[in-house]
Amino acid sequence: MTSASRVVATALLALAGAAGAEEIKPGSAFLSPQMQRQQEDEARNPGWLWVEQGEELFSRRDGVAPTCASCHADPKRSLRGAAARYPQVDAAGGKLINLEGRIEQCRVERQKQPAFGYESQELLGLTAYVASLSQGVPLSVSTEGAAKPYYEAGKSFYERRQGQLNLACTQCHDGLVGQKLRGDTISYGIGTGFPAYRLEWNGLGSLHRRLRACSLGVRATQFDYGSDEYLALELYLAVRARGLPVEAPGLRR
Amino acid sequence: MASFNARITMPAEAKAGDIVEIRVLVRHPMDRGGQVDAEGRVVPRKILNRLTVIYAGEPVFRYDMHTGVSANPFVSFTTRAVETGDLLFEWREDGGATFTRTARLVVT
Repeated sequence: MTSASRVVATALLALAGAAGAEEIKPGSAFLSPQMQRQQEDEARNPGWLWVEQGEELFSRRDGVAPTCASCHADPKRSLRGAAARYPQVDAAGGKLINLEGRIEQCRVERQKQPAFGYESQELLGLTAYVASLSQGVPLSVSTEGAAKPYYEAGKSFYERRQGQLNLACTQCHDGLVGQKLRGDTISYGIGTGFPAYRLEWNGLGSLHRRLRACSLGVRATQFDYGSDEYLALELYLAVRARGLPVEAPGLRR
Repeated sequence: MASFNARITMPAEAKAGDIVEIRVLVRHPMDRGGQVDAEGRVVPRKILNRLTVIYAGEPVFRYDMHTGVSANPFVSFTTRAVETGDLLFEWREDGGATFTRTARLVVT
């Protein structure tokens, strides 16, 4: 290679790198075309099995408690876009909650029923159902007012080196996007497809389950499901994904 | 295990003689067994081992499944539309349990 062509090649690489850094793509953009088609096909994406379960639970009556549908009549219209606004700060409690948290809160406080528990099949089903009602709606979370400290916490979590491997989220999910990590392609770390059906799990899982897998991967502390750390990170990831459409239930490797 | 759930996707209507595609996705862990549980016993295999589909009084499709089949298996097949009626889907699980679903095909 002549030195002139090397300069051109370097310039091209720099250009490609700059373009990649500006435009954030959802996780599905890193799937094979076959898997992308499978995600979009409701007959073949197994995530819809959980959506069906959620839809059933939504109008199921437990004892004397009102059903979800008693308040949220016509959910296809009334709840469209709801998932795109989570996580958000709960007006009553003043704390950040995500969609799973809101559904559990409704169940415990309004329906007076025992909580399903994070990552239970029932909660995953309901979350997937409610999220699926927002398919295609661009993410529009708020970082104003009470949400601001959570956003800052999430941002610093994302940028902080951690674990025995001493890696920050940003080093892979900004710096090495498109490259291979074992058999998979590194994505921007966007959670628009969650709860998602992961082939590795043989089932549906929440974003927090995915984050726990990432924490384990860098040999860092795994936080609990629904912990403040992951909630703040979820908010930061949602801000990164602002304008990208909700894809849940997604299909991931 | 969560309740058995099947998603059967096919056209609701077809002309006589048409080839219709039927797509079937079911929720099942397809546990291949062999693990040792907390009491030291070997967990038995528990998978759906057969799907049969009966249409117009005749078996039109049979799928024998083994431990290599993934959880929540998907299968698609085609059949010829002959008369208006129900397609009867029956899954057989290890241990003898069966699950059935029907889907109606209107032939014009």
